[in-house]
Amino acid sequence: MNPNDLHGLLPALILAGGAALLLISEVFLTSEAPDRRYQAWLAAAFAAAGLWAALAQLGDPALPLFNGAAVSDGFARVVAAVVCAALLFSCLAAFSYLESLRATRGEFYALALFSASGMCLLAQATDLIVVFLSLEVMSLAVYALCAYLRRGKRPAEAAFKYFILGSFASAVFLYGAALAFGATGSTRLADVANAVHLIAANRAPAGTGTLLFASAALLASGFAFKVAAVPFHMWVPDVYDGAPAPVTGFMAAGVKAAAFAVLVRILVTGFGDAAVATGAHGWSSVVVAMAYLTMLTGNLLAVPQRSVKRMLAYSSIAHAGYLLVAVAAMGTAAPRADATEGLLFYLASYAATIVGAFGVVAIIERKLALSGLGDDLSSWAGLSEKHPALAAAMSLFMVSLAGVPPTAGFMAKLTVFRSAIEADLVPLAVFGVITSVAGLYYYLRVVVYVYMYPEAKPGAVEGGRLLSAGLAIAGCALIVVWMGVQPGVFAAVTQAAASSFGH
Amino acid sequence: MSWLGAHLLSAVIFLPVAGAVLVALLPRGEGAQHKGITVATSLLAFLASIPLWTGFHPAGKWAFEQKSEWAPALGFSYHVGLDGVALLLFLLTTFLGPIVALSSWNYPQKRIKEYCLSLLLLETAMLGTLAALDLVLFYVFWEAMLIPMYLLIGLWGSERRIYAAVKFFLFTFIGSVLMLLAIFWLWSNSGPAGHRTFDYVELLAQGALPADRQKWLFLAFALAFAIKVPVWPLHTWLPDAHTEAPAAGSIILAGVMLKMGTFGFIRYAMPLFPHAALEYAPAMGTLGVIGIVYGSLMCMAQSDLKRLIAYSSVAHLGFVMLGLSALTAEAASGAVLQMVNHGISTGALFLMVGYLYERTHTRDIAAYGGLARVAPAIAATFLVVTLSSIGLPGTNGFVGEFLILAGTFASKELRGAAWLSIIAATGVVLGAVYMLWLYQRVFFGPERKAASHGVADLSVREWFTVAPLLLAIVWIGFQPQPLLDAVRRPVGEFVQRVSRPDAVRRTSGVPSPPAIDAAPAPAPPPGVPRLIAPPRAPAEPPVEPR
Repeated sequence: MNPNDLHGLLPALILAGGAALLLISEVFLTSEAPDRRYQAWLAAAFAAAGLWAALAQLGDPALPLFNGAAVSDGFARVVAAVVCAALLFSCLAAFSYLESLRATRGEFYALALFSASGMCLLAQATDLIVVFLSLEVMSLAVYALCAYLRRGKRPAEAAFKYFILGSFASAVFLYGAALAFGATGSTRLADVANAVHLIAANRAPAGTGTLLFASAALLASGFAFKVAAVPFHMWVPDVYDGAPAPVTGFMAAGVKAAAFAVLVRILVTGFGDAAVATGAHGWSSVVVAMAYLTMLTGNLLAVPQRSVKRMLAYSSIAHAGYLLVAVAAMGTAAPRADATEGLLFYLASYAATIVGAFGVVAIIERKLALSGLGDDLSSWAGLSEKHPALAAAMSLFMVSLAGVPPTAGFMAKLTVFRSAIEADLVPLAVFGVITSVAGLYYYLRVVVYVYMYPEAKPGAVEGGRLLSAGLAIAGCALIVVWMGVQPGVFAAVTQAAASSFGH
Repeated sequence: MSWLGAHLLSAVIFLPVAGAVLVALLPRGEGAQHKGITVATSLLAFLASIPLWTGFHPAGKWAFEQKSEWAPALGFSYHVGLDGVALLLFLLTTFLGPIVALSSWNYPQKRIKEYCLSLLLLETAMLGTLAALDLVLFYVFWEAMLIPMYLLIGLWGSERRIYAAVKFFLFTFIGSVLMLLAIFWLWSNSGPAGHRTFDYVELLAQGALPADRQKWLFLAFALAFAIKVPVWPLHTWLPDAHTEAPAAGSIILAGVMLKMGTFGFIRYAMPLFPHAALEYAPAMGTLGVIGIVYGSLMCMAQSDLKRLIAYSSVAHLGFVMLGLSALTAEAASGAVLQMVNHGISTGALFLMVGYLYERTHTRDIAAYGGLARVAPAIAATFLVVTLSSIGLPGTNGFVGEFLILAGTFASKELRGAAWLSIIAATGVVLGAVYMLWLYQRVFFGPERKAASHGVADLSVREWFTVAPLLLAIVWIGFQPQPLLDAVRRPVGEFVQRVSRPDAVRRTSGVPSPPAIDAAPAPAPPPGVPRLIAPPRAPAEPPVEPR
């Protein structure tokens, strides 16, 4: 083994090491009711270290690892940075949440770190077996995190549903990998790409084409489930609703980023040949159809939701649709760099926004859990009177999700839809922005409740542990505004990462 | 000083943001200080914008231009500058800023801090929209206007404020998202990858796109602007927004924001897509005339003070749309002047109505009557504003409407121009009818409910807000020439570009030099009344469409 291989895996290694350390530290807790507050800070420190490692490697040239089973390139590093930042802020938000519910246990932060290391590995994998292993590292930890607050029906239902359907999706993916192996005799994406080139040039053995295309469909379906694309989205509302809010935020940001990264990696690196991607029978047209469905379903079903968590779940489906627009643009004849840049920028912007939004939701949810109120929009009424900062932050996140300037969401929308126009996907782009108007409606409704309705049931959010959640929310809000006002810094990074991707 | 000279425009644009930061830092509950900072900052912005007027050379291209990097990786820059048209609206905005801030001194009963923040951020967004010369920068400011306005209506409005605020936001947002896609399309066709631009000046210099491509792009831009104007039949958000908004919101909405729509037509939609603009000019003119007549008739049927003035805005902006579609220098400069006039007179009307509402807490016209006896100063100022809104000679309204009607009547580019201007002229009569009738019902006759307990006359603070508007009404009424001089060049270029679109046809991907610079407008011969813009310079021979 080459030491460079380990250096390339540094973010994932740091996270996994942190998780192991947290688990070991449990052994040394002796008192009856041990104080586990240190765990949150330790986890946050490791997340920050992972973020630092990913950022420090940003400028390095792309580096194949373990004989081509994985790669450390700009694309993977940006995704790793997004995952680590999401983890960092989620840990801070989770600290307040768990402490005030007196639910801090040893496993929580370790599981979060394990899942994050799986996400980083997913973004780096260029071998279908490595993809599967990283996928399971990520997924199993996330299933457990969903069920973390195990009292009550909803967390159990959420985790169970996620587990069953997620295992099913993993199986579908594995079957696709088996077919790819059958067709090419290898699970390396590079070998798959060679076989695809041969097929495109009509020099492949008979039957290989059919096998490979079936495998592409199965592989993509497996990850369409993880990114919550329609028609693989059924699990999203229940799981997002049932999981603890900080976990949901981390899941929405991290799982989505990692799953999109690997989806794009498989489609572009493995099946990126122009003859396979473009045209009426290419995967691009399938992705276009899926993007239409996803944007429509997500946005329409979010409109009637009265629970903010469920609304954000459907909105997460809608955002998967916008991201699919960028994926579709990658499959066309237009240069891929702009679409890749759009995808990365969108993932970063969405992560900052959704982690912040779920940070606020966590505070409100905790208040609801303590006071026995239902999870309804009406419990958000008049938030601005007692908590102007929380209200302003939540409104900022909503406006950013709606894609109104000057926020990160607008710049993300700009990069993605611009690449769609460039790729000549004009009807798709028009459809996308029109569905985003429906999006504006349900996001604004939260702002209406927060600012314009008087407080229904007086009762402030109490507790002295809001500091770390406040830090997380403020950090996310800062990034959202920064990306909206000075997108150049972030765009330069994503552009550099995108320019080296997919060759 | 030279640094300030180079950055003066940006300094004025972002001065209100500096004020907003100050307001945000002060603790809640310091209402008077928040309001004081707001008034002071907007007044400072107005004073700082005066050098923009005195230092403006009407013959120059983009005054106070500043271009610096913003996000090179995304392909857009921070590029601002003013031409005569933008300058007038820019000054109108800074002029109305302190008036709005001072007029609402006693209005907000709650959340004073947020109110002041909204006012200040809104001012920056409006100024930026007018000064932007980069399409993304323009779009960012354009949409950023929505949020503070949405809050102004939704937080401090009257009973149905939430409905009105959401309707306002959704309507304007629907229009602008398609414009965003059109902007992207322009970008992706502005050159080979790596050399694309969002810069308005460069895009304009590249010449017009192929005529068959312009149609959808023009419609996408036009929809965004037409909703904002608002052009009939897209106006339905306006009466609700105006009626429910607080007085300050109404003044800004009528005074500046509606003009963003017509400004968008004259700056972006029509010059960028001249072939399509020429093709759709009759439709624009017709919709404008429908707006004039429909708005005027609706005014007569209103029983709500603010709703009536809102519909009168539909009528007045119909005049502007007609003037833009006529494609003559007279009509177009009249349209620009009318934008300024409408901002001043309708802004003043909403201001006065706001003062009445603060005293009587009703907008129902039937509850008024006999106010002239109890509050003579209000009655007198309201009369001047009413006459200005009608367009009486000697007030600002007359010059604009006259130029639009005369210019449209003489237009050769617009089919049916004579008929359109004749029908539009009935709007002038109808305008006199509904405004004078309104004045009669509110101020004359027996003292009704609203006046029965006595209505306090204008206070000193209120005089400070009303007096500048009255001065502006009379000053522009007698001295419109400086304003017309300022807009002559941009208006001349606009008319020439749109009425002779083939002269700016793009030639096979190579950016052609701007044809409009090739023919500088000659100085008007002495003796010719300068109200009429100089005859159109001979354009390059039109190329026959292939």
